Amino acid sequence: MLENIRNPKRHMGVLMVILTFVLLVVACQPAPAQPTEAPPPPATTEAPMEAAPTEMTTTEGCTPSGEVKRGGELTLARLEEPLSLDPILITDNGSIYLQEQIFETLVVPDETGAGLAPGLAESWDVSDDGLTYTFHMRDAKFSNGDPVTADDVVFSLQRAADPDVSQYAFAYQAFDTITALDDKTVEVKLSQPYAPMLSAVSLFTGLTVPKDIYQADPEGFGNKPIGSGPFMVEEYTRGDRVVLTPNPYYWKLGADCQPLPYLDKITVLYVPEANSRVLGLRNGDFDAIDNVPFSEAASLESEDNMQLEVAPIYKLDYLYINHSKAPFDDKNFDLALNYATDREAILNTVFFGYGELPNDYMPKMNFWDPDVPLIPYDQAKAKELLAQTSYDGRTIEILVGSGDAPRKQIATILQQNWSAVGINSEIVELDVGTAWDRTVAGDYDVNVSYITSDINDDDELATFQGDYWAAGDTQAFFSRYQNQDASDLLKKARESLDPNERAQFYSEVQNTVYWDGYSVPFNFTPAITSSWNYVKDFHTLTTGWWWLEGVWLDK
Amino acid sequence: MRLLGYIVRRLIQMVPVLIGITLMAFLFVKFLPGDPILILTGGKASPATVAALRAKFGLDQPLYIQYLFFLRNAIRGDLGTSILQRDPVVDIVVERIAPSAFLIAYGSLIAILLTIPFSIISAMRADQPIDHGIRIGGMVTFAMPSFWLGLLLMLLFGLKLKLFPISGWGEGFLGHLKYLFMPSLVIGVYLAPMLIQSLRSSLLEIMQAEYIEAARAKGLSPLRVMLKHVLRNALIPTVTILAVNIGWLIGGSVVIETVFSIPGLGLLLVRSVNYRDYPTIQGLTLVFGVLVMSVNLLADLSYAIIDPRVVYE
Repeated sequence: MLENIRNPKRHMGVLMVILTFVLLVVACQPAPAQPTEAPPPPATTEAPMEAAPTEMTTTEGCTPSGEVKRGGELTLARLEEPLSLDPILITDNGSIYLQEQIFETLVVPDETGAGLAPGLAESWDVSDDGLTYTFHMRDAKFSNGDPVTADDVVFSLQRAADPDVSQYAFAYQAFDTITALDDKTVEVKLSQPYAPMLSAVSLFTGLTVPKDIYQADPEGFGNKPIGSGPFMVEEYTRGDRVVLTPNPYYWKLGADCQPLPYLDKITVLYVPEANSRVLGLRNGDFDAIDNVPFSEAASLESEDNMQLEVAPIYKLDYLYINHSKAPFDDKNFDLALNYATDREAILNTVFFGYGELPNDYMPKMNFWDPDVPLIPYDQAKAKELLAQTSYDGRTIEILVGSGDAPRKQIATILQQNWSAVGINSEIVELDVGTAWDRTVAGDYDVNVSYITSDINDDDELATFQGDYWAAGDTQAFFSRYQNQDASDLLKKARESLDPNERAQFYSEVQNTVYWDGYSVPFNFTPAITSSWNYVKDFHTLTTGWWWLEGVWLDK
Repeated sequence: MRLLGYIVRRLIQMVPVLIGITLMAFLFVKFLPGDPILILTGGKASPATVAALRAKFGLDQPLYIQYLFFLRNAIRGDLGTSILQRDPVVDIVVERIAPSAFLIAYGSLIAILLTIPFSIISAMRADQPIDHGIRIGGMVTFAMPSFWLGLLLMLLFGLKLKLFPISGWGEGFLGHLKYLFMPSLVIGVYLAPMLIQSLRSSLLEIMQAEYIEAARAKGLSPLRVMLKHVLRNALIPTVTILAVNIGWLIGGSVVIETVFSIPGLGLLLVRSVNYRDYPTIQGLTLVFGVLVMSVNLLADLSYAIIDPRVVYE
């Protein structure tokens, strides 16, 4: 036995060697952070950026409109991860918000998000019957220097309208033909008048991609996108970061009459944990963060060198009600749920007061009517309505996606509020996928969830939520709510080209559907971002994203 | 040669286990409620689009056909295309292995660096105050939730002392060492108490052995006896525990990856399950299986280096 204790020294600590080896092997693997191929430098004759910065070469017709500082780098930490940068594939906000910085549409949402502004199209004409739109394009270029042609736009819009590849084909349903009249003119013919036409053109699904480059490698395009927007992608590492640098050919001018964007570089990081985003901001690792948790907002707002923006967006947190099931098929019961719910308490405890009590069944958009009365919190009224129903005291299942603390909190408040008027309920937590499956299948009572609009026209959500018979087969967004009047009004609103008339139709629908107890709406939930004071003009649009081209640093 | 034969045999044994793993993973996710295409399209897409997407990913085929396709492609090194990300699953997973492997190796190294001195002190001063101190300290760190410990470390080393960056995993070997120090420390202090407990009791056991008496009788100093003779013979159970835990950490480090924003396998797994991204889940399960089995094989091989009496049959 004794010879065993005389082992050679070199074998000691062998585990360390193995582990160190593993570390080294890992480190020697090619880093995933490979910058994508740098685009060729712009030819000098057509390179606006190459203009000597010392002498202000103001472009014809541009008057400087304010002081900005150029240059610098911004680090933005986000909750969501971009899954692909090909606009047609993915419809998550993680991807959309970045695609909007890289690509353009003919018409784009304006600085607030609620209106429309010229994009690739300098101007457009509409025929008298409202059925033919002719877009006149400007001389824009992709970040590789190629001109953006009408062919590229037609190709991009056609794939966006094709239900076989596009999840948002519904927005283009009224589009009959999309054709290139010449290199710089696009004509869209509609099969029927369609008020949201221009908003649909501005939708992210139709963002313009270079047809030839896309077709040469459709699979790889989402990883190495080329667009005509203000930024191009220098680096795209999944699960980690996207690095944006200026597109040297971008056409739009800034306040100083020089081409946008102002910043030299933007690093967008994926930081899924809310506390880590807030700590990183305070630590100076990040210049700006999105999705500030409601609980942290007040404390960041009180910091001297930080700013907080609470921006209204097209988002509504609400309780989905399944109207095809008893007792929810009785309007009195649905209204009783509304009267019994202390929505003020939810706004104050769950959302820390950020937001606004909704008097609507859909998010607050352009045709929102402030005069529709709010259903008050009134337990006596709830009991009175309940007495008129056939509710037998059965236990209602409140569905909540697991892992979402605020929604669980809402469900707990609902449970307490409702038991006070004699409605029994239990909270059922399911993972989000399962909860969604059951909602789509109609196998649920009520579901604490939300909805957002991707398009800045009321038609999309008003119709999805309010029209049981609408194309797309979502059955009034899985509520199975049926109201023929609302459906008729929505059709009229969609086909009317007079904004005042549309406003009237939508107001009527809002009043009807909301007061039918379509849902229990909790909050017109805002988007909260925070940044250091030196970050200027970083604003969230109503569509949820930001125009990073206009952001500059004062430091 | 004998060793080589052993390794080859072990590798061959892995094959049926892996097939079993894929079958389980395949069936588990298919029987979970939740449809990837419905989740992906968020309910707004038309039935035609949903059907087109289903067909594109082969989800309209019968289950056994889907599984056979998966197996056939897997043998060719193709794990399919992610429904969520639309990239080959192999590429997605390979991209994520490095941060996870670095994190786990680094964490294990820290755990070992903590374990060896503390368990030797504990064993040499058994049942004395210092031993109790180490054991209680271990219990406390073991009981701390890792996200909480992670946030505390971020506050202390990041915000107050500005010593370490608080998110991401850095660039280059030195960058990784710096960025991953705090998350690795969290793993280290989670693993170390288990390892210290195990190593301490084997040390105490071996210290009673006759050959240790003999070594002492030879006049070697107590520390020399400990390092040269006792430690080596006591290591094997601890290596086993470490290997089991590394296997668990490969998919289980998601909390640490989330808190420190590390683009690793754990985060990918959680995302894939949430979205029911079947191909990615299956691919990940396969990779986890291979990694766990490799770690176990490595541990078995290290027994021979630690103790030459171990013979591989």
